[in-house]
Amino acid sequence: MAKTNDHDMMAIAQSCIAMAKSAGAGDASARAYRVRDVSLDYRDGKVEKISESTTRGVSLQLYVDGRYSNASTSDLRPDALKTFINDSVALAKAIQADPFRALPDPALYKGQSSNDLQLEDPKYSAVTADEGRKVAKEMHDAARGIKGNEAILSVTSSFSSNLVENWMVTSNGFSGSNRGTSFFVSAQVSAKDADGRRPEEFDYAGSRVWSGLADPSAVGVRAAQRTLSRLGAKKSETNAMTVLVDNRAGGRLIGMLGTALMGFSLQQKRSFLEGKLGQQVVSPIVSITDDPLVPKAFGSRKFDSEGIASKPRVIFEDGVLKAYYIDTYYGRKLKMDPTSGSTSNLTWKLGAKSQKELLADAKDALLITSFIGGNSNSGTGDFSVGVVGFRVRDGVIAEPVSEMNLSGNHLEFWKKLIAVGNDPFPYSSMRTPTLVFENVSVAGT
Amino acid sequence: MAEDSGLTRRTVIGAGAAALASVAVADLFNVSTVFAKTGPTEGVGYFGRFGVTEKLIKDTLSHALSKGGDYADVFFQHRVTNNLALEDGAVNRAFANVGLGVGVRVVRGDQTGYGFTEDITEDGLRRAALTAAAIAEGPAKTGPTRFKVMDAKPNRYPIKVRWEEIRPQQKLTVLTGLNDKTFKADSRVKKVNLGFMDQGSVILVADSNGRIVEDAQPMTTMYLSIVAEQDGRRENNSVNRAARADMAYYTPDRLDMMVREVVDSTMILFDAVQPPAGEMPVVMAAGGSGILLHEAIGHGMEADFNRKNVSIYSDKIGKPVAKPFVSIIDEGTQEAARGALNVDDEGNVVGRTMLVEKGTLTSYLHDSISAKHYGVKPTGNGRRQGYEFAPMPRMRSTYMLPGPHKRDEIIASVKKGIYCERFTNGQVNIGAGDFTFYVKNGFMIEDGKLTKPIKDVNIIGNGPKVLELIDMVADDLKIDEGGWTCGKDGQGVPVSQGIPTVRVSSITVGGRAEKKG
Repeated sequence: MAKTNDHDMMAIAQSCIAMAKSAGAGDASARAYRVRDVSLDYRDGKVEKISESTTRGVSLQLYVDGRYSNASTSDLRPDALKTFINDSVALAKAIQADPFRALPDPALYKGQSSNDLQLEDPKYSAVTADEGRKVAKEMHDAARGIKGNEAILSVTSSFSSNLVENWMVTSNGFSGSNRGTSFFVSAQVSAKDADGRRPEEFDYAGSRVWSGLADPSAVGVRAAQRTLSRLGAKKSETNAMTVLVDNRAGGRLIGMLGTALMGFSLQQKRSFLEGKLGQQVVSPIVSITDDPLVPKAFGSRKFDSEGIASKPRVIFEDGVLKAYYIDTYYGRKLKMDPTSGSTSNLTWKLGAKSQKELLADAKDALLITSFIGGNSNSGTGDFSVGVVGFRVRDGVIAEPVSEMNLSGNHLEFWKKLIAVGNDPFPYSSMRTPTLVFENVSVAGT
Repeated sequence: MAEDSGLTRRTVIGAGAAALASVAVADLFNVSTVFAKTGPTEGVGYFGRFGVTEKLIKDTLSHALSKGGDYADVFFQHRVTNNLALEDGAVNRAFANVGLGVGVRVVRGDQTGYGFTEDITEDGLRRAALTAAAIAEGPAKTGPTRFKVMDAKPNRYPIKVRWEEIRPQQKLTVLTGLNDKTFKADSRVKKVNLGFMDQGSVILVADSNGRIVEDAQPMTTMYLSIVAEQDGRRENNSVNRAARADMAYYTPDRLDMMVREVVDSTMILFDAVQPPAGEMPVVMAAGGSGILLHEAIGHGMEADFNRKNVSIYSDKIGKPVAKPFVSIIDEGTQEAARGALNVDDEGNVVGRTMLVEKGTLTSYLHDSISAKHYGVKPTGNGRRQGYEFAPMPRMRSTYMLPGPHKRDEIIASVKKGIYCERFTNGQVNIGAGDFTFYVKNGFMIEDGKLTKPIKDVNIIGNGPKVLELIDMVADDLKIDEGGWTCGKDGQGVPVSQGIPTVRVSSITVGGRAEKKG
């Protein structure tokens, strides 16, 4: 089929509902989407790779005689779509009943924020691949130009942009659409170490709008500095010690807590936070709000994937667990009111100090700058992850460390949080500040 | 139980992966005959049904080379995936996904231009081709005038009954049976979650050298996860199996083994302890421990990282990296294996590549770009997640050949260390060489014997250092049948891995440390 315009995409979503109903579905929800992606990699003086695409498709939830199926396709040729929907309805009929499946209560569709979330850059289409190339070259040259550059082996810088559009309709009265743009730049630098290792590090920045993007040469310089700071990394000793987690890395840790807050985990007995609503489960310095209405933020939205109107919600207040993430299905299974089944942006109650000040306070510690591998058991709370970072001595960053590991149990670990920084990481929806834990277990030599 | 909805075979097809598998097997077995009869404006092979003609391919390649690229290819894919899931005793959700699209790639030296579209029309393909063409800036080159279809292709996917022939009821019976058996196996089982997937993907690669290759690639996976309770405590574990095979793969024996494995590996967790933290000898059990090879050496041997000079193995070809009894292979020829392939996603026949031969580093894993860069033949490692992505060097099935030691002898040799048996995931930093793998189940080794069970611990090491420290290799090579997916640059591809029992003389185990004095 030829190019589709907005009107066509909303019409496709609506026609999917009609086709689903005539195929025998009692209820249905349909989302048509279109995503434009542009990316460019620039390596060691020339463009390494360019890629551009516009992808689109539809995704449907079908409620058929007390049964449920989910179907998605990128084949939007009208005949193919009709056959696909007929088959998907037939497939739903062939499986077992599930009394908990239903569309959301339409009352939850109401009350969408009227704020302008500013998620789309009106000048998106004016940013050409050539602009991306210029920015990538600027990052690359800045990284190559730093002091100590003779150790640099390779610099790859990247630019990417996208425009995401959704059109959603349900058979019980929801109709809505959203659009959002994003621009990201990143630089990755590798350097040769004396012992044959080739450590690499990166830095990145992102923005909903092109004009809000951080200075690309600063990104290049930071990537190169981060890499050179890794030279000579060694294992440090096994010990229980004070650990600081860099604001860029902390999202991984809070994400592990998030899994235990999901309706699925709770209902399937896979959450160490089951039955803990209203109890103090983490350090009293933790207050976090899930806020979907932060202007220009990456996790912002006016309605969630079910169409439920998005509202800010307190998750932790002074260390007390105040809310779970509950979608319609698990809400019905758990007899709980749906909130939303997914995180948006996390807004932390921040501390007063910068990372530098927190390092000075910690004196003797480990600063974790990234995690590698590892896993977390959402049922028991046990976790174990590889860490990369620096030893902190006399309150300042000392030698780089690698090949180490952080282990614990979330129910104990988060109570050991003694400080948070004033520096929420702006390029992720987790918006984590620097975190300081005391007396946690780190394995090395 | 579900009622029989009276689906006719044909209606299930569209929703089932099977439409492809069926046509794929029928058409593709005779692919050369089909092509022999086609002219430039008739449909090409399987994709003829979507209006793909030789002329369309030829025009697309011409647009792709319109700015002077060295090489171009088009990758068509029709991918149908079906999932069924069981939760709280019923197969109560089905997911079906259809992906249909085409990617156009233009290569100029080491540089790549890529565009893709789901709009399989002259206009859609022209736009994707011109996007990709922009990587080059020169006078147009001409595309191929004639195409030759690859007809001598291996067949590594043993499909007797096509997925489309399998009615949903047959899958439901297997899933509900597995659920019942799991609950019956142990009264401490409180929750069972099952996921079943079958997929058919037909690909067609046509390139500017005039080559056309088609392949129909089936896949199925079964995932079984449980939660158990004992004395107010809960533990969970999971097991999965995957193969490029048909429904016959799920034999009663294989399903029974899954039940036994998931129940045993969960119940033992009630007695498990956290291992100590720090450096110690580690014995890796045969099979899933192949994750060690995937992370410690496999990724670092992917030629793109070496071409860019950023892998820790960039200057080590021809050099000793391990003991002489260590040989490591990456191949795609194991019939029905998750990592098996007839051809890669650049249309090259997949064979066997020695990464390490008797302790010496022998070959990288190449796609066509890196093979050209190094002046060697492609090794059939050019893979991609789907038409949405350009190919790059990726592993297939990575394993170590058997060695001179015995498993019992290896365990007996360790005074204090751990034995790693089951894994969930791993990761590597290519340049620094540091890698991790997460151990779900294992044992302490004390005075040469397996003692207390251990759980949930990450292990971290450095690739080349750990290879050197593999000082015992047993004769019990086992290829794991798990549903491993390898991720790189945002693309996931199915892989296999395997290993005999091996000993690493020292590596860091991320247990719980006590505060030092």
